[in-house]
Parts: sequence; C-alpha cells; structure tokens
Amino acid sequence: MRTVYALVLAVGLTALLADHLTSPSSGRAVSPEDFAGACAPCGAPCPSTQKKEPRRPPST
Amino acid sequence: MTQGAAAPASDRARATDWPFLGAAVAITALLIALVVLDGEPRSAALIVAGFGLGVAFLKTEFSFTASWRRFLLRGEAGGLLAALLLIALAALVIVPVAALAKGFGGAIAPLGPSLVIGAFVFGIGMQLANGCGSGTLYTAGGGSGRMLIALLGFIIGSVVGSLQLPAFLALGGIDPILASDYLGPWGGLAVTLATVAAAALVVIAVARRRGAGIAPRPPLVVGAVAIGALAIATFLAGGHPWSVTFGFTLWGAKAASLMGFDFSTAAFWQWPGPKRALADSVLTDTSSLTDLGMILGAMAAAAAGKPFARASWPPLASLAAAAIGGLLMGWGARLGFGCNIGAFVGGVASGSLHGWIWFAAALGGCAIGIRLRPRFGLSNE
Repeated sequence: MRTVYALVLAVGLTALLADHLTSPSSGRAVSPEDFAGACAPCGAPCPSTQKKEPRRPPST
Repeated sequence: MTQGAAAPASDRARATDWPFLGAAVAITALLIALVVLDGEPRSAALIVAGFGLGVAFLKTEFSFTASWRRFLLRGEAGGLLAALLLIALAALVIVPVAALAKGFGGAIAPLGPSLVIGAFVFGIGMQLANGCGSGTLYTAGGGSGRMLIALLGFIIGSVVGSLQLPAFLALGGIDPILASDYLGPWGGLAVTLATVAAAALVVIAVARRRGAGIAPRPPLVVGAVAIGALAIATFLAGGHPWSVTFGFTLWGAKAASLMGFDFSTAAFWQWPGPKRALADSVLTDTSSLTDLGMILGAMAAAAAGKPFARASWPPLASLAAAAIGGLLMGWGARLGFGCNIGAFVGGVASGSLHGWIWFAAALGGCAIGIRLRPRFGLSNE
C-alpha cells in the first residue's frame, strides 16, 4: 500500500505542477459561486434566471 | 524515572514515518510557495486552513458517516450534536459577515428535485464508502488505500454528475431561500441558531426515547470547536463557506480533458465559474486549495504518529463498496450541490434552507446505505 501511495503522490504532484505551470494563474483564487448569476457552489444558475432565458429555436 | 520518560519519546521517534511526513510537509510548503509567488496570500491561507482541517479530522476522528449511522441504528446523539455545534459556531460568523461585508457570500442552492435526488443518492454512497466528502479526504490522506479507491470513484462520479446536472435542473425548482434576505443579518443569525437548537432538541428527544447516549465524546467536542474555527478561517480567506466537492469535479474534468474528452459542448462547463476553473490553474480554485491542504495535513498527522499506510488491502467486496459509494457520492454531490460540508455545514451555517433539505434527504439515503453495507461485508458497528 505504501508503494501505491508513493506513486499516487508522485503522479498527483507532477500533474498538479504541470497544470499550474501551463495554465493561467493570475488573480485571486475563486469559486464558481463568485461569478455573476451563480446560484450554487458549483456555479449553477438560479431557476428564475433559467426561466427568463429565451428558448433556442429548434435545430434544423 | 528518567529512563522511563525517555523510552516513550524514542518509541514515538521510531513510530514517526519520516519519508511520508517529510513529503507531506514539503509538498505543502511547495504549494504555498507557488501561490505566494503568484501574489496570493489568501490562497496560502486556504492551504494552511485545509492542512489544519486534515489534522483536526484525523486526530479527533470526527466523522459524519459513523455519527449518522449510530443515530439511525441506535439513536446515539453524540456525533450529530457535535456536528450541530460545529455548524452553530460557523454560523456566528458566516451569517452576519455574508450579509454585511462586501466580497463575502453564504452557501446557497436552488430548491428542487435535483437537490433532493442528489442528497439522497449521496447518503447511500457515504454509507457504502464509509466516509463523506471530508471523510474521504482525511482518510485517503491518512493512509487508507480503500478510501483512495473511494476518492477515485468520487472524482469520476462527480464529472458524470456535472454532465447531467443541467438536465436535472430543467425538472424545475425555486431560487434559494436565505434567512438573512428576509430577516436581516442578525434576525437571520437568530433564526439559523434557533433551527440548529431545534434540531439538537429533536436529536436528544430521539436518543432519550431509544435509551441511547446523548453527550458527545470529548474528542468530538474538541473536533467540533477546532473544525468550526477552521471553517470560519476558510470562509474569511475564501469569501464563501468551505466546500469540498467542486475540487473533485474539477480534477476529474482536467484529467478527462487531458485524455481528449471535449467539455466545450457540456452546459455545466460553459457556466462562467466552471468554465474559468477548467481553463485556469487548479491552484486558483478555492475548494481545490483546501482539499489539497486537507489531504496533506491528514498525511502529516498520520505519518507523525505511526508508520504510514502499513495496513493490508481490505477484501475485494469492501473495495467494491468503496468504489460504488464514491461514484454515488460524486454523482449525488453534483446534483445535490455539495456534500456534508458544502451543502449541510455550509448551507445551514449560512442560514440557507437548502442545507436542511439536503440533510433530511441524505439521512434518508443513509438509511438505505446502512441496509446495503452487510452485502459488501461491512459492519454496522
């Protein structure tokens, strides 16, 4: 089990560093709920907002 | 006498697992250095708070899953009362600050079928996995290989849930109901504390009727106070209540993107928050920062006290329960807007009605999960 943990740590750290070094990281840390219109921690919109959105025309 | 005092100290030194303790501390320091280099001291505070949460959970063995199971099976109230104490402490700061201070907000969520279905399924999963969102983090971090499997399932399930959430939201629902929106910051706080007290009275009444214990064990009280204080620190550093599960969804989506999965047509990942999170560094997501800190804190605490991850793997049925439980929790957390932390603790401590609805639905799911545990060879003790 220790070997598995050592591998998970190594792979996880490598992936994290690769992601951090290749992605934008300026600006303060945020959560999806910090964005306008968010109604939940995951950033889902409010039901009232969804109802106001115009319906898309059916695709042809 | 001197020799007697020295022996336990040398035993402790031998028990310390220096490679894993060193790795946990070094990786934490590296993450802090990376966010500080980006000029983000508040991100560093979130990592440190997460680290403290990992230590507090592991050392006090604070568990939502076992507490809820003991309450449902035997009426034991101690664990649930400790959780309500944690929530009340957090609410003292979260409700008024979220209502009064610019840049802060409470944990809210729409009320509807998605919330109820998600929380119910989450409840089943947490009993099968034997840990909720925070429980999975600190036990996986603390050296349980079984919970590493649960964490992997959690991540996969939450990505699937993210793809299906918009369809469940289309079933209908109403906007969040926040006490402070109707009663102001102090009225909202009074109502929030009153609902927590009422819940505590119901829990005590059930325990008395079933002849079960009421008082929480002292470590649980210490845990509730420590975790409550750290939840407040997380709120003050992040601007919103502590949440866990979006980080899992993000990690899974980033991994899936790396493997070629295209999220550009997924409605969830086109909402502004998730879209930015997927594009930006994982170290700019608040829940990822506390999650990573929590895993590393639990690892450091576990490795400081005994050899790390020395236990053998559990039977295959137990691993299957962990995987299935993790998948259900991940899927349920996305549909139900969080776990015991983001939805229950964060929601109730914000004065949001969805927190109590989540709790009731998840408790119902737990009752099912408890019945399923023996099929996987899991004890209900």
